[in-house]
Amino acid sequence: MSFLQAILDGLMLGGVYAVISIGLTLVFGVVSIVNFAQAEFLMVGMYVAYFAWRYLGLDPILGSLISFVVVFALGFFVQQFLIRRVLKAPEVAQIFLTVGLLICLENLALIFFGSEYRSVQTSYQNEALEFFGLIVSMPYLIAFIASGIAGGFIWWVLTKTWWGRAVRATAQNPMAAKLMGINTDQVYRIAFGLGVGLTAFGGAIILPYLTVSPSVGGQFGVLMFTVVVLGGLGNVLGAVVGGIAVGIIQSLSGLFLPIQLQNIALFIIFIATLAFRPEGLLRKSS
Amino acid sequence: MNTKFGQRYCAIALFILLCSIPWLLTDQGYAIRVLTLLLLFAAMAQSWNIVGGLANQISLGHAAFFGIGAYASTILLIRFGLSPWLGILVAMILAGLTGGLLSLPIMKLRGHYFALATLAFGEVMRAIANTWSSVTGGPVGISVPFSPNAGIEMMQFKSTIPYYFIMLGALTISTFIFWKISHSKLGYELRAVKANVDSAEVIGIDTTRTKIIAAVISAALMGACGVLYAQFNFFFDPDSAFSLVGISIRVALICIIGGIGTIFGPLIGACFLLPLEELFNAFLSGKGAGHSQLAYGVILIGIILLEPRGLTTLFKQAVQRIKA
Repeated sequence: MSFLQAILDGLMLGGVYAVISIGLTLVFGVVSIVNFAQAEFLMVGMYVAYFAWRYLGLDPILGSLISFVVVFALGFFVQQFLIRRVLKAPEVAQIFLTVGLLICLENLALIFFGSEYRSVQTSYQNEALEFFGLIVSMPYLIAFIASGIAGGFIWWVLTKTWWGRAVRATAQNPMAAKLMGINTDQVYRIAFGLGVGLTAFGGAIILPYLTVSPSVGGQFGVLMFTVVVLGGLGNVLGAVVGGIAVGIIQSLSGLFLPIQLQNIALFIIFIATLAFRPEGLLRKSS
Repeated sequence: MNTKFGQRYCAIALFILLCSIPWLLTDQGYAIRVLTLLLLFAAMAQSWNIVGGLANQISLGHAAFFGIGAYASTILLIRFGLSPWLGILVAMILAGLTGGLLSLPIMKLRGHYFALATLAFGEVMRAIANTWSSVTGGPVGISVPFSPNAGIEMMQFKSTIPYYFIMLGALTISTFIFWKISHSKLGYELRAVKANVDSAEVIGIDTTRTKIIAAVISAALMGACGVLYAQFNFFFDPDSAFSLVGISIRVALICIIGGIGTIFGPLIGACFLLPLEELFNAFLSGKGAGHSQLAYGVILIGIILLEPRGLTTLFKQAVQRIKA
């Protein structure tokens, strides 16, 4: 496999990583909480898409919309009944609440769906496009395009709509936002739902080239945090740049490292970023 | 009564009680086994408490040091026949060094960032242990060779009771170290760091150095506990020795339940959590995988929502209400 091919594959992967990580960064940026259970919402999204395919015959691309809606609703209630109560608590309470959520979601999935690995079959699963000697596998390409659309949608919501302005105002100064008549509790609920929903959407669109099991979140947890930390926690554009960077790094390291060492390399990038530039590569001092 | 004095009497009474338990429960092998693990986890939680409780640096990666200890002593035992008593020393040095090296880059981090970095480190160690099969045995795990006549010099016993006293010793030592630190200059510096890092710097505390010393001690103690666990359980694999939920989160949770940063917190937390887990295992294991872990997650969330400062606070509040 050539260098250019690896870059292209990395770009495709990175687009998907960007979308699943935007959700995490959005939750942090608005609700000011690091959601350790974010990757478990991704797992829930994958299961929803899987069952939509299995019982309704829906392609995962359509199933991803259902995943988004279902997990959005789940996140809305999680924010209302759990997260809201620790917003003013010490950080240790916030950390362990979401860690508790992680344990609960993973084991609920284990109880209801069993530990087996499940995968979907789609008509385009093994198709690929070829141009200038570079190969683009169809599931990757479709996931990349869907990620682009989802990312564009979020960008539009956050920058062009009244609701987006309310979100940004709440993220910057909740007190001032409240005084301006914004229902900040509602903003928190919707932002949390949107964040986990987006991650679930990302999980659903990568279902055609992965398998889902209750422990799939573990694969993505550190990956998402690496992306988000690289780009700067709370920074949406940063998540896009971080996602693409991680995708390309992973793909290039695949040329000369076995898979387990690739993961270790990822961890090391993560710790090094935290150590030397915890504000991320992009984040401005403001 | 002087609280320091009261604490000392409490500790002595508790120690005598704990020493006599094996004679009170002579026929209850299972109960002694649970209590042995309880003491070990209390000792581990006490090690965590030095960094997590005194300095409020919430580590989610203490399994890394635990696993390093377990692997180091077991590999030395298998390859060179080294006694685990010496293995403990090697384990403590290795775990302490790792803790120190990890701290160099990340000790400036606070809150969520520190938790994330330590979590990632624990996962790195798990990945390494899984990958490096030639040394660790890889995913299939590693067994401590049992020789029936090995006895005390190899830390192997047919009965559970000697292990019980070894774990009690570990808890006593770690609690003593915690107590010593919390009443020393280091302890006051750590509390200053916890209260406000910037102010601590202003009054001339080298906060990074302070935190690194605490991290090294905490990691070394955790490494020693790893050795004891390996000798007690005889088998472990990368996923259990470096387990995020089973080790890292559990030791932190024990401290949180019992009262983070308090001297009796780890023991109280362990006395609450471990028997509860046993009950869950007894009642829920028949229902299939996941039930007891789910119950665990629910308890975690319940405690956080009820009283994030732990049972000690709830207890104090109850006492105050009765007095009033």
